[in-house]
Amino acid sequence: MVEVGDMLVGYATDENIRSRGASGGLVTAVLAAALEKGLVENVVVMKHINEFEAVPIITDDVEEVLASTGSLHSVPVNLAKYAMGRKVAMPAKPCDAQAVIEQGKRGMIDLDNTYVVGLNCGGSMHPVTTKKMLIEMYDIDPEDVVGEDIEKGKLIFKTKNGEEKAIAIDELEEAGFGRRESCRFCTLKIPVNADLACGNWGVIGDLAGSATFCQVMNEKGAKLLGNAIDAGRIEVQPASDKAIAIRAKVNSVMEDLGNTLEKEIFPDIPDEERMQYYMEQMEDCIDCGACKEVCPVCACGDDAKCTMFHSLVDNYKMSMYHMVRLLHLSDSCIGCGQCSDVCPSDIPITLLQSRFAIPSQRRRDYKPGMNLDTPPFFEVMLK
Amino acid sequence: MKEMIYQTVCPGCNIGCGLYVRENEEGTLAVDFMKSSSANLGKLCRFGMKLPYHYSKATSMVDGKEADIETAVKAASDKLKGAKNMAMLAVGATTNEEHLAFTKIADALGIVVNTGIGAYEEIPSECHSSISQGIPLDDIEKASRIALFIDPYVQYPLLVRRLLAAKKNGATIVSLACQDLNLADENVSVNPADYKTELGLDDNSMIITDVHPHTDPEQVKNLLNLALMTGAKIMFMKPFVDSTGVHLFGKTAGQMGLQEIMDGINDGSIKTLVTLNSDLLELMPNTDEAAKTLEKLDNLIVMTSRDSPVNEMANIVIATEPLYAKAGSFMNVEGQVLNNSGESTVGIDAMSTLSQNLGGEASDFQTIHNKMMESVLQKYTAPKYSELECKVMETAAPSEDGGNLVSVYNPFMWCDQTDDNDFVIVNMTMVDKLGLRKGGMISLTSDAGSVNMRYTVRDIPDGLILTMKKLPVITGNTTEVKAEAV
Repeated sequence: MVEVGDMLVGYATDENIRSRGASGGLVTAVLAAALEKGLVENVVVMKHINEFEAVPIITDDVEEVLASTGSLHSVPVNLAKYAMGRKVAMPAKPCDAQAVIEQGKRGMIDLDNTYVVGLNCGGSMHPVTTKKMLIEMYDIDPEDVVGEDIEKGKLIFKTKNGEEKAIAIDELEEAGFGRRESCRFCTLKIPVNADLACGNWGVIGDLAGSATFCQVMNEKGAKLLGNAIDAGRIEVQPASDKAIAIRAKVNSVMEDLGNTLEKEIFPDIPDEERMQYYMEQMEDCIDCGACKEVCPVCACGDDAKCTMFHSLVDNYKMSMYHMVRLLHLSDSCIGCGQCSDVCPSDIPITLLQSRFAIPSQRRRDYKPGMNLDTPPFFEVMLK
Repeated sequence: MKEMIYQTVCPGCNIGCGLYVRENEEGTLAVDFMKSSSANLGKLCRFGMKLPYHYSKATSMVDGKEADIETAVKAASDKLKGAKNMAMLAVGATTNEEHLAFTKIADALGIVVNTGIGAYEEIPSECHSSISQGIPLDDIEKASRIALFIDPYVQYPLLVRRLLAAKKNGATIVSLACQDLNLADENVSVNPADYKTELGLDDNSMIITDVHPHTDPEQVKNLLNLALMTGAKIMFMKPFVDSTGVHLFGKTAGQMGLQEIMDGINDGSIKTLVTLNSDLLELMPNTDEAAKTLEKLDNLIVMTSRDSPVNEMANIVIATEPLYAKAGSFMNVEGQVLNNSGESTVGIDAMSTLSQNLGGEASDFQTIHNKMMESVLQKYTAPKYSELECKVMETAAPSEDGGNLVSVYNPFMWCDQTDDNDFVIVNMTMVDKLGLRKGGMISLTSDAGSVNMRYTVRDIPDGLILTMKKLPVITGNTTEVKAEAV
């Protein structure tokens, strides 16, 4: 019997899934069981194309779910929008789970029908940067890479010939590689906002590398895990006190690092210079609209205020599009980095949105995408 | 529920931006970001973001009636057997493999496939590879000084990030574009004769310009000379997804430009035209004029993967699969071969049948693809060229009561696709001179007609009016117009 609050260590019962999965294949097995037993109609998974490329698919095929095993630190996609309008289960980084909840608050995702299997996340990397990093820092041909992992602050790559090479993430980031900028100041590393919070932190002893630590966050999480156990897809056992303590310690180190980097990434700008700063940052915008399209918390669709009051014929120094978005997203921006990723002018939009949003969110003790208890603060203010 | 996901390349220009096209069971399309694509890191411009509109599916037609593709191919064979005064056009808006299959039809007919860029015929052949050969986009970021002869924001938006990266690396950017560019350190207007002395280029520099169906060959010659004299690298951007491929794999001799093809139709030397993914109603500056010309043809045979205006006029439409679904490859401006994940060979198979019906060779995808890849792998060095003789380039001075309307060619314009671009750009001098009012319109009149447009004010040279959209008053690259406040 699985209960809310349980902290367990488990793995897939199928040896093949267990050996191919990142940490014993528990997440894959839970998702597959949800589909087989009719808990959901679809599962969102990342279909592997190669080590640096995967594409989100929505599938009702258990085999496709099982084929999606393995970690993908260099495929920085937010999956929330793929869950819309479906009875679905999905793996989720903490920011995926945040976006699902934000969309749920706005009525775009039915949270009762969306099962979110959270995955610990120390940060993700851009695939093209990662390939360059492999050549320049690791002296590895990207084509030879067969796997990757993050452990004890190091990024590890495994090659076809069975070798492993690890370099400290700090060292990589100092050299201009490593995690995406938005991941560096993120402090939500364990997805406590998901239905299950899974990861390899706290998996110790004989099970290290072949099992997943799993915290049951709510009733849906208990149902998901119980379903996988009943289906015979996974085996679990209680996590030891030592395992729980180690997991908490790793999380604490990662949070501290995020807080430290936040101060570096967001140096103070005097009040009188802020407008100028934002205008200069936005001045190379080509009006493609990709930042809105990719935003996992935007629920506006085509009739959005940001586009409604914007026209290319306008001659504003900073477009109404950006002004409206800065304001509109200040109670929902989760800093996931998708907008910066897709900006064709390399405008650091996530940093700009976060710089604008974080002070308002902190002033109201509001972190978007954590739960349904607190409505968006704009809604509260309007009421 | 089953969704098809295609890995493909944006057809908006020749940068080769990788992307995914998602097609659901109802046929609804969505674009998704392919972050592993080295050309664009998944980033897309305004045109790329609107691609679902571009991919409207075509229907095979024979004499105005819907037909299956086999019937359309048979009808095309019948029309082409024994036909005279023929021309073929493929600008590079499809895969390398389809272009090569199309070339086999031309071989069977004893003619060449025109790519529509007339500048090639005006420029010595030893220069052709310098125009068509690719340079890595990464090289832009390494240049110390960059001379820009295009407007990257409007024409080739995925260059913007490369140029900004070059600036971060210490490059100086000097722009000779029609309007002042925010990213340029210097926005200048320089006479071509003074390029060498005024632009300060050397062998660590890069010249970025473009070549397209309406390019003035004299400007190409001037810039080739500039590259030769300064040692700067030169990069010719191009407007179609396989522009580089068609020039590398196609025949460059005996090429006609789009205007020459239209002139040939008007003077009766071209009576039958066969096109591949090349809509002259979209490609020519004036749609109405182009339509009047195409009406003079005896036979217009259109092979296409999308529903575009010329299909309505064609005697025969051979509708192939959408571009994203084709098996095949494209060569981008860097010279990289980029593969589609699609597996359909409907277009190539149709062309193979047509070629065989005309007594030519059959084409099968794999054979064509293998041959193409073999030639890509051959090491090739561009031949050296000597300084080219150039004519003095002169732009007509605008009349007192108007200005010169200049087209800033961009992906929306090449496809004549609707965008939020229904305005022209003028400067404050013209606003004052014409008494234009905020929120008002400007009326433009030429020999071709009249149009009222919204306008915006930017820093551009006096007497210039810029458009990013095809307008019915346009008669050429530069159109002298009478301008009035409305």
